[in-house]
Amino acid sequence: MKIGFISDNYHLEKKSVEFVKYLKTKVEVSLYIEESFLLKDSLVSDFEEDLFFVKAKGELALGLIKLIEKTSIPVINSSKGIWNAIHRFLNSMLMEKAGVPVPDFSLNPIGVVPPFTDYIIKNIVDRKVYAFAPKIEKKNGQIHVKDERALNEAVGGEENYRYYFYQQFIKSKWEYKVYGIGEQLFFYKQLPLLVNPNKTESRQKIEDIQELKEIAFKAMEAVDLKIASIDFLKSKEGNYFLTDINCCPNFNYIKNGHKIVADYLIEEAKK
Amino acid sequence: MKIGILSKRTKMLAGKLKVFFENRGDEVTIYTDKNLILNENLFQNDFFILKSKKLFYLYAAFYLEANNIPIFPNPELTFRHKNRIEAHFMIKQAGLTAPDYYFGTFETLRKNKDKLNFPLLLKPIMSSGSRGIKIIKSLEDLPKDANQLIYLEEYLNGTHYDVYFIKDEICQLEKPPLSNEHVDMNKVALSDDVKEIIIKWKNTFNIPFGHLDMVREENTEKLYVVDPGNFPEFTNWKREGDFIVKIGNIILEQYNQLKI
Repeated sequence: MKIGFISDNYHLEKKSVEFVKYLKTKVEVSLYIEESFLLKDSLVSDFEEDLFFVKAKGELALGLIKLIEKTSIPVINSSKGIWNAIHRFLNSMLMEKAGVPVPDFSLNPIGVVPPFTDYIIKNIVDRKVYAFAPKIEKKNGQIHVKDERALNEAVGGEENYRYYFYQQFIKSKWEYKVYGIGEQLFFYKQLPLLVNPNKTESRQKIEDIQELKEIAFKAMEAVDLKIASIDFLKSKEGNYFLTDINCCPNFNYIKNGHKIVADYLIEEAKK
Repeated sequence: MKIGILSKRTKMLAGKLKVFFENRGDEVTIYTDKNLILNENLFQNDFFILKSKKLFYLYAAFYLEANNIPIFPNPELTFRHKNRIEAHFMIKQAGLTAPDYYFGTFETLRKNKDKLNFPLLLKPIMSSGSRGIKIIKSLEDLPKDANQLIYLEEYLNGTHYDVYFIKDEICQLEKPPLSNEHVDMNKVALSDDVKEIIIKWKNTFNIPFGHLDMVREENTEKLYVVDPGNFPEFTNWKREGDFIVKIGNIILEQYNQLKI
């Protein structure tokens, strides 16, 4: 059996060393690294892999996946899933449509305020490898959180979007994190990043929460992801809201996460 | 009815279509970067026209489609026209010939330089048309930013054509290489192979109007499709009749099919 791993340097070197090492003890592994791979027209008949696994979000990775998807070789996650996951407006829209509770959201030209008072401005396309850098403003009983990445991309750089993506701010004691690997879900909670920027310090494994289980599966299906991490906040009324979905989760936070993912991929490749 | 037009501009084709629909008694709003707010307020319109392929117009289009507001052209198909690799796949899907492409970082291209036949064309990955295209004669001409992905396409020597189609009407124009749609072009006689390509394209994707940029390679006489577009400005349309009326009527036909 041969599994292709499509990654970028960051995910390969910082997040996937154990995973690749373990996978190589089980199957033949081929690496496709975004920064050193040449995508060209004549590749389509060359693939010998039984399955591809992707931990990358770049345009080249997406192009390569689309090329593979023209064959019958399965790819986890799909190009559609990755595209949906990195575009916040699109995944919020798809999940809302599927009945997943997401905070209100709006994509507005700079200067147009959203139709809700407490908000967080998030980056529009979640593709680059950079850290969440929040600025918090509290004024007249309202809370406005602004991610510096989003502010910069709105007014300059190659993006120069001239738009902000607003998500209604949900005040929550805990942030809930659910990792989805096929049919398996793993539940954690941690203090929200705005309370403690060191997310691992307060992170703890928790029992399964039935309500989140149903929402997580629904969200993964709506966005078309087989492997994902999903963030939730719980409002003071006790309602969960899905605030983020990530197509390239760091499964090292799960005990034996690298093995669970590798074994899942091998089982999928056998199908 | 209330019609929304998603367009970068309020003038040119979008402006002319606005006048066409207003003359019929419709209420038309053109949504540009200045007034396009992506939320439920868009639902006050009965129908949308997706004129621009820019990211936020595509978002709006997908949003409207997901909420059962009729929109034309199809957002997914429009996105595929915008992404160079997707457009390449479309050309192949229609059974047509496209130039070879290479996509990678500068370092990857440098390591594979033996596979590259210069000159090549540097094109923005998310763009259609001639904007941002540059002839690359050697590696030295390429941007060397380590993180930047570079899309290069085979450069074809030959005669360049811009071919418009509106239903069964085809207008074949000879264009200066790498020029945009708005330069003055000469209409030439429609050749059989160009006609065949347009028919294949229309039938494969069920597209009622649009354009294809083609190059007839000088050594082989082979026709390559180098750039498809599903909503050109039709600046150089040189056939009888008012193209605004033709397009406007097609859009209305599409609305009637979509609203069912």
